[in-house]
Amino acid sequence: MYNEIFDRKIEDVGLQTGIDRLTPEKIEKTVKQVLEGETGAKLKVYHDTCVRCGMCAKACHFYQSHLEPSYSPVAKIHQSIGVLIEKDGKVGPDFIYQCAQIAYTECNLCRRCVHYCPLGIDTAYMMSTMRRICHKLGVTPQYIQDTAHSHSATMNQMWVKDDEWVDSLLWQEEEARDEFPDMRIPLDVDGVDFLYSVIGPEPKFRTHLIYQAAAIFHEAGANWTMPSEPGWDNSDMAMFSGDFEMMGRLKRAHFECAQKLHVKRIVMGECGHAFRSIYDQGNRWLGWKDYPVEVVHSVEFFTELFKAGKIKMKAKHPGIATIQDPCNIIRGRGLYDHLRFLAHEVCEEIVEMAPNGEHNYCCAAGGGIINCGPPFKNVRMSGNKAKADQLKAAYDKGARTILAPCHNCHGGLEDIIHHYGIDMEIKFLGDIIYANMVKTKAVEE
Amino acid sequence: MYHSIYDLVTGPLTWLGFGVLVLGGLFRMVSLYSLAKKKDASSIAYNKAKYGIRSILHWITPFGTLGWKENPVITVVTFVFHICLLATPIFLGAHIDLWDLNFGVSWPALPDHVADIMTVLVIAAGCFFAYRRVVDKTVAFVTTWKDWFALCVTMGPFITGFLAYHQIFNYQFMIVLHVITGIAWLLFIPFGRLSHAILGWYSRVYIASEFQGVRHAKDW
Amino acid sequence: MKKCITLMLALAAVVVFILPAFCQEDITEIKDPAFQTLKRPAVPFMHDEHNEKAGLDGCLPCHHEGMENGEFVEGDPAKCADCHEVAPTDDSTDLKTAYHQQCIQCHEDAAKGPVACGECHVK
Repeated sequence: MYNEIFDRKIEDVGLQTGIDRLTPEKIEKTVKQVLEGETGAKLKVYHDTCVRCGMCAKACHFYQSHLEPSYSPVAKIHQSIGVLIEKDGKVGPDFIYQCAQIAYTECNLCRRCVHYCPLGIDTAYMMSTMRRICHKLGVTPQYIQDTAHSHSATMNQMWVKDDEWVDSLLWQEEEARDEFPDMRIPLDVDGVDFLYSVIGPEPKFRTHLIYQAAAIFHEAGANWTMPSEPGWDNSDMAMFSGDFEMMGRLKRAHFECAQKLHVKRIVMGECGHAFRSIYDQGNRWLGWKDYPVEVVHSVEFFTELFKAGKIKMKAKHPGIATIQDPCNIIRGRGLYDHLRFLAHEVCEEIVEMAPNGEHNYCCAAGGGIINCGPPFKNVRMSGNKAKADQLKAAYDKGARTILAPCHNCHGGLEDIIHHYGIDMEIKFLGDIIYANMVKTKAVEE
Repeated sequence: MYHSIYDLVTGPLTWLGFGVLVLGGLFRMVSLYSLAKKKDASSIAYNKAKYGIRSILHWITPFGTLGWKENPVITVVTFVFHICLLATPIFLGAHIDLWDLNFGVSWPALPDHVADIMTVLVIAAGCFFAYRRVVDKTVAFVTTWKDWFALCVTMGPFITGFLAYHQIFNYQFMIVLHVITGIAWLLFIPFGRLSHAILGWYSRVYIASEFQGVRHAKDW
Repeated sequence: MKKCITLMLALAAVVVFILPAFCQEDITEIKDPAFQTLKRPAVPFMHDEHNEKAGLDGCLPCHHEGMENGEFVEGDPAKCADCHEVAPTDDSTDLKTAYHQQCIQCHEDAAKGPVACGECHVK
């Protein structure tokens, strides 16, 4: 059963171009290089001890959506890195295509399956290692590779040029001053309480999020800054493409940016994977057990502001909302209580999805899948009927708003509600807080 | 002829079985731990006994985790299987008599009829696992010869033990086969799939520390 | 009177020597009543046949009465349970172990006779 015919191959120019350049010798050499050089006991133990009980199948939204054996977490290993380990890398290029498609587009690295495995096998780690091999082989989906290229050329994900970045901030500041006459988006202020970092897509096409965050900080009287230099982007698609060297450079640049400004800590925008990159993967690649500069996620920071009474709501968001728990901040960093606190602070009524919290289903966009672009959009859609069902159930209970404090969740759920025709709107916490907070410093309307 | 075979399997080969179990097990644990220290330092740096124990306590409780709750049938069978699998050979009266005769140590034994039922439970659970490997498409898809091998090695001593105890077929042949399959079981515990018995604790403690320590989330 | 004495002696001889011989022929299994309930089937054991096959002349090593210089001391053909208790409170050999040791060790040494559980405890 090792070489089941992979019948769902999707054409991707990035993957195909990489495959065309491969030889069996190169594959074998690279696989050995990664397995022997970069992995150790963890991979060996996982590979040896997995008893193939199949309990993890139910954990995976891909499996739950397709109910097809090849989508279970263990099956993904069985069809990719498991074979490479067994065969010591002696596989052909076509097989690598299959490995890459599975690892990049059929696993969100969400780690829900960890809750299902009695042996505690970390499938996400094995899939990451698979991606690492693919990256080293030059077999990466075109779209995510483009973001990784952007990271290496510009230190941000979206080819934002240095002047464009500053320009975007100034533009948002100017816009905001119509509403808040004294508001600044402080740039490169030394020694302030926190540095605010965002992901590349914010200046690129969600600029209003920067406006909103700045407005909230302004209202709260925060002592903050944004960096003008590269390092402002906390996102990290290199982490997901398997380009760990670049991941390390990005994280270093990000932290150094904060260190140069002598800020007390970094506050991150509402993004999941960026958070993952600093507490989980990037820091470890750099050999840091913990942050060199403390990092808090927006969800934590907003909680602080509300608890300190620095932000008050004029009115709560009307109607019933449900909460999408982003893997990387809930299962990834335990911000469940923070998010519940905030949700109840800012929304009139909450209905929970089931399962939720650390047992939530992923949005199917995370782990870089949405970044693999249009060729794989349907993979996410057909692969997350499970989430659509959850959302429909929440809709039936009256929920019309989805609170999703994560960019990937936003993108993923946006596609899902359109694909499955669920009439709901998706909101960041920042959206709701900004729209409904008491604005003492705004011009009278 | 029979005596020399019996002496061989219950003597040197049994020593070999336990020797490989203990030394092989130790070797695997030590070598993998040192490999982890060398290669997975950024992972095991977060290991904490407190998290590991908490996690193990959840996972050894039936229905104490999401995975167990969502797979109720497997949960029941798995617990029954593992409890009987370990308790039967250790607390079987006849085995304890052998310990007593050879080493002068003994401990309380299970009544024979209870041990007999437990053996049947192990065999029944093994049949259930075999059934899943064939019929459940999700499991069949990922099943390899290694899984069948592990299942056969594990079931061997129980099937032969049952047949020997009830003196079905030729007793002398069956008892020798029982000892041989038992030794095979001991031999393979440190390696391959069966090594989850000794290495699973590593991955459990690690992922527990990873989840509770780094991710501030439950790993169950 | 002389006749009478001769007859009495003859009778005594019958009682002393012949009767036990009849009794021994009756031993076909070991089913020690000291065990009360048996966990395994009683062991079929033809006393005379066994001893003949095994070439045992005296009652040793089975019927012994303590040890001296590491060797069994021959004693009256006492029952095992007379000395070996089922559950001794001191560290003396218990009855089950006594049987097991006695039989299995001897069979092992001679490389003859049953050694595994089911060979003796036949169902």
